[in-house]
Amino acid sequence: MELEIEGKYIFLRNKVVSKLDLFVIDFIKILEKYTDYVIVSGYVSILFGRSRGTEDIDIFIEKMDFQTFKQLNDELRQKKYWFLNAENPLELYEMLNDKLAIRVAIQDTVIPNIEIKFTKNMIDRDSLQKHMEVKIDRESLNISPLEIQIPFKLYLGSDKDIEDAVYLYELFGEHLNKEKLKQYMDLLKVQGSNYGIEF
Amino acid sequence: MESNFDKKQNLKERLEFVRFYSRWVKSVPNEVWSKQQTDFINSLFENAVNYPFSPEKYLKSLKK
Repeated sequence: MELEIEGKYIFLRNKVVSKLDLFVIDFIKILEKYTDYVIVSGYVSILFGRSRGTEDIDIFIEKMDFQTFKQLNDELRQKKYWFLNAENPLELYEMLNDKLAIRVAIQDTVIPNIEIKFTKNMIDRDSLQKHMEVKIDRESLNISPLEIQIPFKLYLGSDKDIEDAVYLYELFGEHLNKEKLKQYMDLLKVQGSNYGIEF
Repeated sequence: MESNFDKKQNLKERLEFVRFYSRWVKSVPNEVWSKQQTDFINSLFENAVNYPFSPEKYLKSLKK
Protein backbone atom coordinates (compact mmCIF):
# COMPACT_ATOMS: atom_id res chain seq x y z
CA MET A 1 0.00 0.00 0.00
CA GLU A 2 1.35 3.35 -0.96
CA LEU A 3 0.16 5.34 2.02
CA GLU A 4 1.08 9.00 2.28
CA ILE A 5 -0.04 10.90 5.35
CA GLU A 6 0.42 14.66 5.62
CA GLY A 7 -1.28 16.17 8.67
CA LYS A 8 -4.99 15.45 8.34
CA TYR A 9 -4.65 14.17 4.76
CA ILE A 10 -4.22 10.54 3.74
CA PHE A 11 -3.43 10.05 0.06
CA LEU A 12 -4.56 6.76 -1.52
CA ARG A 13 -3.21 7.14 -5.03
CA ASN A 14 -4.07 4.74 -7.86
CA LYS A 15 -6.71 2.90 -5.84
CA VAL A 16 -9.09 0.90 -8.02
CA VAL A 17 -12.46 2.28 -6.98
CA SER A 18 -15.25 -0.21 -6.20
CA LYS A 19 -18.97 0.23 -6.78
CA LEU A 20 -19.31 0.66 -3.02
CA ASP A 21 -16.73 3.49 -3.08
CA LEU A 22 -18.65 5.16 -5.93
CA PHE A 23 -21.93 4.80 -4.02
CA VAL A 24 -20.33 6.58 -1.04
CA ILE A 25 -18.57 9.26 -3.11
CA ASP A 26 -21.76 10.11 -5.05
CA PHE A 27 -23.77 10.43 -1.85
CA ILE A 28 -21.14 12.56 -0.12
CA LYS A 29 -21.08 14.99 -3.05
CA ILE A 30 -24.70 15.82 -2.23
CA LEU A 31 -24.45 15.65 1.56
CA GLU A 32 -21.44 17.96 1.85
CA LYS A 33 -23.35 20.80 0.19
CA TYR A 34 -25.54 20.94 3.31
CA THR A 35 -23.45 19.93 6.30
CA ASP A 36 -20.15 18.74 7.73
CA TYR A 37 -19.93 14.98 7.93
CA VAL A 38 -17.63 12.18 8.98
CA ILE A 39 -17.65 8.52 7.96
CA VAL A 40 -17.16 6.14 10.87
CA SER A 41 -17.11 2.41 11.54
CA GLY A 42 -16.84 -0.45 9.02
CA TYR A 43 -16.45 1.43 5.74
CA VAL A 44 -13.29 3.09 7.07
CA SER A 45 -11.49 -0.25 7.22
CA ILE A 46 -12.97 -1.31 3.88
CA LEU A 47 -11.70 1.91 2.29
CA PHE A 48 -8.19 0.86 3.31
CA GLY A 49 -8.49 -2.62 1.89
CA ARG A 50 -10.21 -4.85 4.42
CA SER A 51 -11.72 -7.74 2.47
CA ARG A 52 -15.29 -7.75 3.64
CA GLY A 53 -18.63 -6.39 2.57
CA THR A 54 -20.99 -4.15 4.46
CA GLU A 55 -24.66 -3.40 4.21
CA ASP A 56 -24.42 0.13 5.55
CA ILE A 57 -22.10 3.11 5.76
CA ASP A 58 -22.27 5.01 9.04
CA ILE A 59 -22.07 8.79 8.93
CA PHE A 60 -22.27 11.43 11.64
CA ILE A 61 -23.42 14.90 10.68
CA GLU A 62 -23.57 18.18 12.53
CA LYS A 63 -27.02 19.09 13.79
CA MET A 64 -28.86 21.17 11.17
CA ASP A 65 -32.12 23.10 11.09
CA PHE A 66 -35.21 21.63 9.48
CA GLN A 67 -35.08 23.94 6.47
CA THR A 68 -31.58 22.73 5.55
CA PHE A 69 -32.59 19.12 6.13
CA LYS A 70 -35.60 19.60 3.88
CA GLN A 71 -33.34 20.88 1.08
CA LEU A 72 -31.05 17.87 1.49
CA ASN A 73 -34.08 15.58 1.48
CA ASP A 74 -35.41 17.21 -1.70
CA GLU A 75 -32.14 16.95 -3.59
CA LEU A 76 -31.65 13.32 -2.58
CA ARG A 77 -35.14 12.38 -3.75
CA GLN A 78 -34.65 14.28 -6.97
CA LYS A 79 -31.47 12.29 -7.58
CA LYS A 80 -33.27 8.96 -7.13
CA TYR A 81 -32.48 8.16 -3.52
CA TRP A 82 -35.10 7.20 -0.98
CA PHE A 83 -35.28 7.07 2.80
CA LEU A 84 -35.99 3.66 4.27
CA ASN A 85 -37.52 4.89 7.54
CA ALA A 86 -40.22 7.32 6.50
CA GLU A 87 -41.56 9.36 3.62
CA ASN A 88 -42.21 12.58 5.48
CA PRO A 89 -39.12 14.85 5.89
CA LEU A 90 -40.41 16.23 9.19
CA GLU A 91 -40.75 12.71 10.57
CA LEU A 92 -37.19 11.93 9.45
CA TYR A 93 -35.88 15.14 11.00
CA GLU A 94 -37.60 14.33 14.28
CA MET A 95 -35.96 10.90 14.26
CA LEU A 96 -32.55 12.56 13.93
CA ASN A 97 -33.38 14.92 16.77
CA ASP A 98 -34.41 11.94 18.89
CA LYS A 99 -30.87 10.54 18.40
CA LEU A 100 -32.11 7.88 16.00
CA ALA A 101 -30.52 6.95 12.70
CA ILE A 102 -32.13 7.43 9.33
CA ARG A 103 -31.18 5.36 6.31
CA VAL A 104 -30.82 6.38 2.68
CA ALA A 105 -30.44 4.05 -0.31
CA ILE A 106 -30.76 4.24 -4.05
CA GLN A 107 -34.44 4.18 -4.88
CA ASP A 108 -36.02 0.71 -4.85
CA THR A 109 -32.97 -0.86 -3.21
CA VAL A 110 -32.27 -1.47 0.47
CA ILE A 111 -28.62 -2.58 0.51
CA PRO A 112 -26.22 -0.87 0.61
CA ASN A 113 -27.56 2.08 2.54
CA ILE A 114 -26.19 5.12 4.32
CA GLU A 115 -26.97 5.41 8.01
CA ILE A 116 -27.00 9.03 9.15
CA LYS A 117 -27.02 10.30 12.72
CA PHE A 118 -26.56 13.67 14.38
CA THR A 119 -23.52 13.74 16.65
CA LYS A 120 -24.69 13.08 20.19
CA ASN A 121 -21.68 12.95 22.49
CA MET A 122 -18.11 14.16 22.86
CA ILE A 123 -16.58 11.26 20.96
CA ASP A 124 -18.96 11.71 18.00
CA ARG A 125 -18.14 15.43 17.94
CA ASP A 126 -14.40 14.75 18.15
CA SER A 127 -14.75 12.33 15.22
CA LEU A 128 -16.43 15.06 13.21
CA GLN A 129 -14.30 18.04 14.22
CA LYS A 130 -10.94 16.26 14.14
CA HIS A 131 -11.69 14.19 11.03
CA MET A 132 -9.06 13.07 8.56
CA GLU A 133 -9.47 13.53 4.82
CA VAL A 134 -8.76 10.66 2.46
CA LYS A 135 -7.77 11.74 -1.04
CA ILE A 136 -8.49 9.15 -3.70
CA ASP A 137 -7.10 10.82 -6.79
CA ARG A 138 -9.60 13.65 -7.38
CA GLU A 139 -12.15 12.48 -4.83
CA SER A 140 -12.14 13.19 -1.12
CA LEU A 141 -13.81 11.57 1.92
CA ASN A 142 -13.82 12.63 5.58
CA ILE A 143 -13.16 9.78 7.99
CA SER A 144 -12.95 9.54 11.74
CA PRO A 145 -9.43 9.86 13.19
CA LEU A 146 -7.94 6.37 13.42
CA GLU A 147 -7.09 6.96 17.09
CA ILE A 148 -10.85 7.19 17.71
CA GLN A 149 -11.88 4.58 15.18
CA ILE A 150 -9.78 1.77 16.68
CA PRO A 151 -11.01 2.19 20.29
CA PHE A 152 -14.58 2.68 19.04
CA LYS A 153 -14.43 -0.62 17.16
CA LEU A 154 -13.10 -2.36 20.27
CA TYR A 155 -15.93 -0.75 22.22
CA LEU A 156 -18.54 -2.15 19.79
CA GLY A 157 -16.93 -5.49 20.47
CA SER A 158 -18.31 -7.99 17.94
CA ASP A 159 -15.79 -10.29 16.21
CA LYS A 160 -16.15 -8.24 13.03
CA ASP A 161 -15.49 -4.98 14.92
CA ILE A 162 -12.42 -6.39 16.68
CA GLU A 163 -11.09 -7.60 13.32
CA ASP A 164 -11.59 -4.09 11.88
CA ALA A 165 -9.73 -2.55 14.85
CA VAL A 166 -6.81 -4.98 14.51
CA TYR A 167 -6.67 -4.43 10.73
CA LEU A 168 -6.42 -0.63 11.09
CA TYR A 169 -3.90 -0.93 13.94
CA GLU A 170 -1.67 -3.26 11.91
CA LEU A 171 -1.98 -1.18 8.76
CA PHE A 172 -1.32 2.25 10.26
CA GLY A 173 1.02 1.10 13.07
CA GLU A 174 3.79 3.70 13.20
CA HIS A 175 1.55 6.47 11.87
CA LEU A 176 -0.78 6.31 14.87
CA ASN A 177 -0.50 8.83 17.67
CA LYS A 178 -0.18 6.40 20.57
CA GLU A 179 -0.92 9.05 23.21
CA LYS A 180 -4.16 9.99 21.48
CA LEU A 181 -5.03 6.32 21.00
CA LYS A 182 -4.56 5.65 24.71
CA GLN A 183 -6.65 8.71 25.57
CA TYR A 184 -9.66 7.41 23.61
CA MET A 185 -9.15 3.84 24.80
CA ASP A 186 -9.29 5.13 28.37
CA LEU A 187 -12.35 7.27 27.60
CA LEU A 188 -14.20 4.30 26.14
CA LYS A 189 -12.81 1.96 28.82
CA VAL A 190 -11.51 -0.58 26.32
CA GLN A 191 -8.32 -2.60 26.23
CA GLY A 192 -6.59 -4.00 23.20
CA SER A 193 -3.83 -6.09 24.73
CA ASN A 194 -5.76 -9.34 24.14
CA TYR A 195 -5.66 -8.55 20.43
CA GLY A 196 -2.11 -7.24 20.15
CA ILE A 197 -3.16 -3.57 20.36
CA GLU A 198 -0.73 -2.34 22.97
CA PHE A 199 1.84 0.39 23.33
CA MET B 1 -27.96 -28.60 21.61
CA GLU B 2 -24.32 -28.22 22.55
CA SER B 3 -21.84 -27.21 19.91
CA ASN B 4 -18.13 -27.95 19.79
CA PHE B 5 -17.51 -24.67 18.00
CA ASP B 6 -14.78 -22.76 19.85
CA LYS B 7 -15.61 -19.07 19.40
CA LYS B 8 -12.41 -17.89 21.09
CA GLN B 9 -10.22 -20.05 18.88
CA ASN B 10 -12.18 -18.97 15.82
CA LEU B 11 -11.57 -15.27 16.58
CA LYS B 12 -7.88 -15.99 17.22
CA GLU B 13 -7.55 -17.68 13.83
CA ARG B 14 -9.45 -14.91 12.08
CA LEU B 15 -7.21 -12.26 13.69
CA GLU B 16 -4.16 -14.16 12.48
CA PHE B 17 -5.56 -13.96 8.97
CA VAL B 18 -6.32 -10.22 9.40
CA ARG B 19 -2.66 -9.64 10.39
CA PHE B 20 -1.39 -11.73 7.49
CA TYR B 21 -3.70 -9.91 5.07
CA SER B 22 -2.71 -6.44 6.37
CA ARG B 23 0.97 -7.32 5.85
CA TRP B 24 0.17 -8.35 2.29
CA VAL B 25 -1.81 -5.13 1.62
CA LYS B 26 1.13 -3.09 2.95
CA SER B 27 3.59 -4.94 0.72
CA VAL B 28 1.91 -4.40 -2.67
CA PRO B 29 1.03 -1.29 -4.71
CA ASN B 30 -2.47 0.18 -4.32
CA GLU B 31 -3.52 -1.09 -7.75
CA VAL B 32 -2.90 -4.68 -6.67
CA TRP B 33 -4.80 -4.94 -3.37
CA SER B 34 -7.58 -2.62 -4.52
CA LYS B 35 -8.15 -4.56 -7.76
CA GLN B 36 -8.65 -7.81 -5.81
CA GLN B 37 -10.79 -6.11 -3.19
CA THR B 38 -12.88 -4.35 -5.84
CA ASP B 39 -13.64 -7.62 -7.66
CA PHE B 40 -14.86 -9.08 -4.37
CA ILE B 41 -16.87 -6.04 -3.26
CA ASN B 42 -18.41 -5.45 -6.70
CA SER B 43 -19.74 -8.99 -6.74
CA LEU B 44 -21.38 -8.42 -3.34
CA PHE B 45 -22.71 -5.07 -4.55
CA GLU B 46 -24.26 -6.58 -7.67
CA ASN B 47 -25.83 -9.32 -5.60
CA ALA B 48 -27.38 -6.80 -3.21
CA VAL B 49 -30.09 -5.94 -5.76
CA ASN B 50 -31.44 -9.44 -5.16
CA TYR B 51 -32.05 -8.63 -1.50
CA PRO B 52 -35.64 -9.80 -1.15
CA PHE B 53 -36.95 -7.63 1.67
CA SER B 54 -38.85 -4.37 1.78
CA PRO B 55 -37.43 -1.42 3.78
CA GLU B 56 -39.92 -2.28 6.55
CA LYS B 57 -38.70 -5.87 6.82
CA TYR B 58 -35.08 -4.78 6.61
CA LEU B 59 -35.48 -2.22 9.43
CA LYS B 60 -37.32 -4.80 11.53
CA SER B 61 -34.47 -7.28 11.04
CA LEU B 62 -32.00 -4.68 12.39
CA LYS B 63 -33.93 -4.40 15.64
CA LYS B 64 -33.60 -8.15 16.34
